[in-house]
Parts: sequence; structure tokens; C-alpha cells
Amino acid sequence: MQQRKSRMLTVVGGVLAGALLLGTSVAQADATGSMLANTCAGCHGTNGISGGPAMPTIAGMPAKYLKSVMADFASGKRPSTIMGRLAKGYSEAETALIAEEFAKQKWQNAKSAPQSKMATPVNAKLAKEGEKATKNAKCDKCHEDNGVFQDDDTPRVAGQWLDYLRFKVQDLKNPELKVPQAEKMKTGIDKLSAEQLEAVAHFYASQK
Amino acid sequence: MTNLTRRSFIKLSGGVAAVSLTSAFGVPAIAGEAKQKVVVVGGGYGGAVVAKYLRMADPKIQVTLVEKNADYYSCPLSNWVVAGFRDMALQKWSYDGLKKHGVEVIIDEVTAIDPAAKSVATAGGKKLAYDALVVSPGVDFKEFPGYDAEAQKKILHAWKAGPETVALAKQIAAMKDGDTYILVAPADPYRCPPGPYERASLVAHYLKKNKPKSKVLILDAKPKFSKQGLFQEGWTQLYGFGSDNSIIKWVSGAEGGKVVRVDAKEMAVYTDNNGFEEKHVGACINFIPPNVAGKIATAAGLTNESGWCPVHLNTFESKIHKGIYVVGDASASGGMPKSGYAANSQAKVVAAAIAARLNGKEAGEPSYVNTCYSMLSPDYGISVAAVWKYDAATPDKVKEISSGVSPSKAPDFIRKQEALYNESWYQSIMADTFS
Repeated sequence: MQQRKSRMLTVVGGVLAGALLLGTSVAQADATGSMLANTCAGCHGTNGISGGPAMPTIAGMPAKYLKSVMADFASGKRPSTIMGRLAKGYSEAETALIAEEFAKQKWQNAKSAPQSKMATPVNAKLAKEGEKATKNAKCDKCHEDNGVFQDDDTPRVAGQWLDYLRFKVQDLKNPELKVPQAEKMKTGIDKLSAEQLEAVAHFYASQK
Repeated sequence: MTNLTRRSFIKLSGGVAAVSLTSAFGVPAIAGEAKQKVVVVGGGYGGAVVAKYLRMADPKIQVTLVEKNADYYSCPLSNWVVAGFRDMALQKWSYDGLKKHGVEVIIDEVTAIDPAAKSVATAGGKKLAYDALVVSPGVDFKEFPGYDAEAQKKILHAWKAGPETVALAKQIAAMKDGDTYILVAPADPYRCPPGPYERASLVAHYLKKNKPKSKVLILDAKPKFSKQGLFQEGWTQLYGFGSDNSIIKWVSGAEGGKVVRVDAKEMAVYTDNNGFEEKHVGACINFIPPNVAGKIATAAGLTNESGWCPVHLNTFESKIHKGIYVVGDASASGGMPKSGYAANSQAKVVAAAIAARLNGKEAGEPSYVNTCYSMLSPDYGISVAAVWKYDAATPDKVKEISSGVSPSKAPDFIRKQEALYNESWYQSIMADTFS
């Protein structure tokens, strides 16, 4: 605790020094967390609760996790279609405000998307197979409680939108994309076929 | 839960009452007394979002949305309907969700705005007083030679989603194999810069499958267009663009694409090809006239000689009438495109600025985003995205912090992912707007 506090002080010191260097432009009040986060809500939904099957809900995810994802999008370390271009549009401090704003919100499970013909419906049989696969590959070592658990390195996956999860597992198996992943994650992914990973996506999407 | 909300509400209004004593506007917001009123004219991607986010920001503000049509039809994704692979019912949204946020919705048309008296009048004979007014009427069309009321029955623009969208889809479906579909694209600025080219792509997709001898002819007033490189790359891949058999032909303004008059009786448009008039006949002509700000914005004197509404780019408050905010396509938005997402983003800035003002505070620093997808076929999506800031040093132009389009020569699975992202974008932004 003591250690953490002193680190925070250093960070504050750094920000102050930066403010002095930048001079007047910082005197102008920067946008608030809610102002910045609202720019994301068109796609990620009001308060980060997504309304579309391929857009992840990010409400209530740990701020540190969201910040690291945004940093990886901006650097290109994490492959994306549109997010890299958007993530580059915010400073580190702004990204932190955005992350904290969404972290404050309450998670809501994805609703089914009756409007969408393109959305993939959750398949109960596949979900069952997926559950087995998560046990075999030991996904639950990190994605505990059938994917409900989350921490600074682990996003919640239970109740996430299915098409988003499908895209992510497809990306993980795609050698062209080189998705960064923790070593333990890689071990798990290597054990599973593309079909099994599809089933895993159905399993987590089916969880509450 | 109800108790908690109520308690925090009382606390909040107490705090605000204290603040408003020092307010420059001198409007006391003491509980039980008259509420501050905001009227929003137009319930689309801009207006509906202002109404909802105002109520979310400060539930003490009374928000009335006045909208001409009982249901809303979204322009984004309506090109899918035109090309026959989407049901129009999926474009329809009701205002019931806004009512749940406490927005009063009045289906009526605002016919006059009195900035001095701070009130609006409606066709239905209502007079509504406001403390702040939001005008979000979208676009209207300039008069154009030959495009009179009679011609508009045969030659559609379908540039406002609704019955025309379905009617245009029917015209295209009724084309004979070998017929030409002519799309006339307007000069800048206009609603949805990549929209005409998405429409041309999707009609080409339909024709390729159903009428393989038919062609799409785009007659353009412009020398270039939004996402042009990506569109032409996709057209080459999907529709033989550049070859003799190309389904799509694009004629730029410089090469004779500029349409100067329309003749509905002949089902023809005439272009100016370096001083020579050239006639183009099509079985289906889709004419998108030059755009201007929605009628009420012009009637209320909110526009300047450009036909659009000049606004302060940090709050979107009109430069002409104080206390009136113009959001979305009707505004001169300093370099942001006239797109649904830009309107959504501007609307949130307006909601925050009005909530601050009515509570006697300064408006905060704005932040703007646009994300926009276009489809070249049902499995082929591309996107553009940008982030902007307000910079007091350049008050007439927003400052671009980052921007970019989808990569060229991306693998098919990326194009397919972006197609599904497009539909998800739509569902999310509509939920952000109407629920």
C-alpha cells in the first residue's frame, strides 16, 4: 500500500511537470471522462452496454484492462479494423479517463438480437461442447466462474456478445494477425481447434 | 432503489439551486418552481440523442422533442433496402424509448422560431417556450432545373429514408435486364459523403445477380469522392471496374459528369461536358439534388449564404442566434462529415453544453468522433474513423487528432468482419439514440 501511494505521487508529479511544459494549452480544461466516453457510446452503447452483436460490451470492465487494450490498439500490437485508428485519437490521460468512466458502469449481459439476420444465434449444443473444451484447455484457470471473473489482465467473457467472441477466437487462430496473448493463454489456444474455439465462444456467450 | 434515487435527486437539486443563485442567467431552479425547458426540433441521429442525453445529464430539465413523423426511418443501412437485401421494417424506430427517459414527444411540425421571445410555433397551433432550443432538422434540397413536383414522382432521390427508399427499391427491381440505373451524385457538402457510392455498389451487386446485362452509371458533380480508393479497389474486385465489362461507370464533374437539368418525361438527365450538353437516358434515374440545411433552419434565419448553419464548434450554439443549438447535418460542422455518427457525437456535446448552461456553469471541453461504414456487397464492408478536438486557435475548423480508412488490399475476412461490424454499428447507435 505504502509503495503504491508513493508511485501515485510520482505519477502526479510527472503530470504536473508535463502541464508546466505544455504551458497554456493545458490551462484549457480538458474534456471530462463522460464527454470522452460518450464518443465511444455510438458503437459500444450507452454507458458501454453494446446493442450490436459484434461490438463488445465494455461496461464495468477493469480500467487497467481497458487502458492496456487501448494502448495495444494504438500501437498496433493488438490487431483491429477500426479501433487502432480511434485509439490513436486520445492521449494517455484521456484514455485513462475513458477507461475509468466505463469501469464505473454496471455490466449487463448481451441481449439476443432479434433485429439482426446477420447475428449468430447461441447454439446450446455447441455451448455444451464449448464447456468441455474450456475444461480441457484449462480456460477456467484465468476465466474463472465460467468466464464471469475479471481482473486487470482478464476481461469478463460470460454473457458477452457472441459474434464479438467469435471474431476474437477466429483472430486468435489467425496466424496473419499475430494477436498478442499471455503465454498461458497461448498454451490453451494451441490445444483447441478452430471448431472447438467456436464452441467456446458459444459457451461463454450462453453464460449469465 | 427508488428511495435511493429519490434521495440523491433531492440532494442534487439542492446543490443546483445553490449554484443557480450565482448563475448569470438568473433562472432559479428551486424545486417545485418552473423547470428549465429545452425544446428539440427534429428527432433523428442528432436531435433524439440530445433529448436523451440531456435527461441523463440532468433529470430536472424538461425536454420536449417535436418531430414531424410518428416513426423514424434510419438513412444508414437504407441502401441495403434499396438493393433488395434488407427489410424496411428494420429501419423503423419509435419514440417510445425516449419517453422512458422522460422526454415529452410531440408529433407535429415546427413552422416558426422566435429567438427573441424564445418560443417555437407548430403547424398544429402549439406555442412552446424554451430556455434553450436545439434545431436538428437534417437536410433539405435545393431547387434544380427540371426537378419539379411532377418529376419527383418518377425520379426519386431517396436521400431521406422512408417511403421513397422502398419505391426506389421497386423501381430497380422492375428494371429489365440490360437497362441502365443512373445515380446522380451531388456536389459537396451533402448528407453522407460515401452514401452515393455505397448505393451504386449495392445496386451493382443486385444487378450482377439478377440483371447481369444492366449497368450502373454514376454522374458526379465532383472530381473525387469519399473513400474513393477503397471503393474503386472493391469495384475492380467485385464488379469488373476499369474493364470494358464493368458494371459500374463513374463520370467525374471534369469529365462530363455534372448534371445541369433533369427531364422526367424523357427519363433523362443532361450533363455539361466542357460546354456541350450531353443526354443520358436511364430506365431508373436516382437523382440526389444539391443539399441545404433543413427547411426550418433556413426559415428561422439560422443559415448563412452557404445554406448551412454557422455554429461555435465548442458547443454547436448558433453564431447567429444565441441560445439556439444546431446539431447534425444542418450545421456547418468545421470539417466533420454530415454523418449519423458525427451528429450523435455533436449531440452529446450539445447536451453537455446545455446542461452546464442551465446550471450556471461553463461548457466543458468537447470531444468528437466519427465512425462510418460503407458496404460494397453484403459481405464487403469498409470504414472511416476520426477523432477531433476543438482548438480555439482555429475556431472555424475542428482539429483532427487521428483519422483513417480501412487498409487497401485487406483480406476477404477483414471485409466480411467490417460488414458485420456495420450492422452492429447500426444496432448499437440506434439503441444509443432511441432506447
